[in-house]
Amino acid sequence: MRRRIALPLLSAATIGASFFVAVAPASAHGYISSPPSRQANCASGAVANCGDIIYEPQSVEAPKGSMQCNGGGSRFAVLNDNGKNWPAASVGRTVTFNWVLTARHATSTWEYFIGNTRLASFNDGGAQPGATKSHTVSMGSFSGRQTLLARWNIADTVNAFYACVDLNIGGGGTQPPPTTPPTTPPNPPPTTPPTTPPAGGTWQAGTAYAVGSTVTYGGATYRCRQAHTALAGWEPPNVPALWERI
Amino acid sequence: MTPGRVHGHRRGPAPRVVALLLALLLAGCGGAATPEPAPAAAYNGTDVMFLQMSLEYIAQGDRVVSPAARRAADPRIRALATELGGQWAAEAATMRRWLTGWQQPASADPDAGAHAGHGDLHSLRPSDIAELTAAKGGDFDRTAVSLLLGHLHNCVEVARMESAGGRYPPARDLAGRMTVARQSQIQRLLGLAA
Repeated sequence: MRRRIALPLLSAATIGASFFVAVAPASAHGYISSPPSRQANCASGAVANCGDIIYEPQSVEAPKGSMQCNGGGSRFAVLNDNGKNWPAASVGRTVTFNWVLTARHATSTWEYFIGNTRLASFNDGGAQPGATKSHTVSMGSFSGRQTLLARWNIADTVNAFYACVDLNIGGGGTQPPPTTPPTTPPNPPPTTPPTTPPAGGTWQAGTAYAVGSTVTYGGATYRCRQAHTALAGWEPPNVPALWERI
Repeated sequence: MTPGRVHGHRRGPAPRVVALLLALLLAGCGGAATPEPAPAAAYNGTDVMFLQMSLEYIAQGDRVVSPAARRAADPRIRALATELGGQWAAEAATMRRWLTGWQQPASADPDAGAHAGHGDLHSLRPSDIAELTAAKGGDFDRTAVSLLLGHLHNCVEVARMESAGGRYPPARDLAGRMTVARQSQIQRLLGLAA
């Protein structure tokens, strides 16, 4: 009897295994919801034409160690596209990042980077997160528009979850102020009206710039060479024809 | 690579796997090897798993929306929780009716042991509900929004699994409607979370 049962069960197991591979959704686990990460901005509809990430902003999973917004994986390359008009959240010098978790993995660390600078690392020592997870991180000397990379390093797999958050640090520019006051006092508001770009304002897509106006971007200051309305992808370091670094 | 929920069934303890494999056997082999052919199965194992897992998720989600509908300070959260509760009740009634008609259990996992092997990773845990219950004021709202977002993402994953691999057309239709409804609720929740 035993043998007669074994064969169908084995076949069924084979069917089952192929079935799981065929329909298994991407494994899914977590992302930053506020300030909204790039995948959150896709899922919320704030940014269009993102592809399948809208259904699984929690699935940006790849081997540990990448500095790319999609973790360097084969999916979700749209998240690396700095030419997309990602909204930047206006924040103070200290930012609280809130995660949405769909699976509460044992965690080694949570890391936050701007460029190659690691701003903070939180060591959970292999613990599982609770109902919610948030970290308060100092932006250090960074200001203006920046893309922050967060990595959630899982304790018991080789993988991490990645989330990039576009920020406008220090309350400059024409973005609305944050709805909750930052924990450190913001810089004094600009005294000039925002209809003309104030000297030293942060570069922003959609703004009309006149010859000679100056902006900051990535911690550097630039002077406008040609009048134009800025588009995403025309960040000053990318377009020397429009911006001269000073 | 990672211990996703669906992967977990492959190596998980027996009850749910056996139920699923039986469903696959019935769906795949019904009529072929028996002298009295059963009517061709109009559903497959994915349909059954979608309904059973969605019922479990609805039961878990109710433990968030019930207090959220009463206690959230933000009226938009109360409204969304009330709406979700109503939609889930209607969906669950349909799901139970289909499973009963197919003579399948409403849960493949009556002893709640099938997920123990990977720590209920994709489920709302009793400790999550306890944290929500203990939270006050703005913390309650934030916790409810965060838990609902994570939970609705999991619900959408199961619905999309059905859309990709289910066979029973009404169940596939239901999954498509659930994906649309949950995605729009996720968008509202992300607006509240931002």
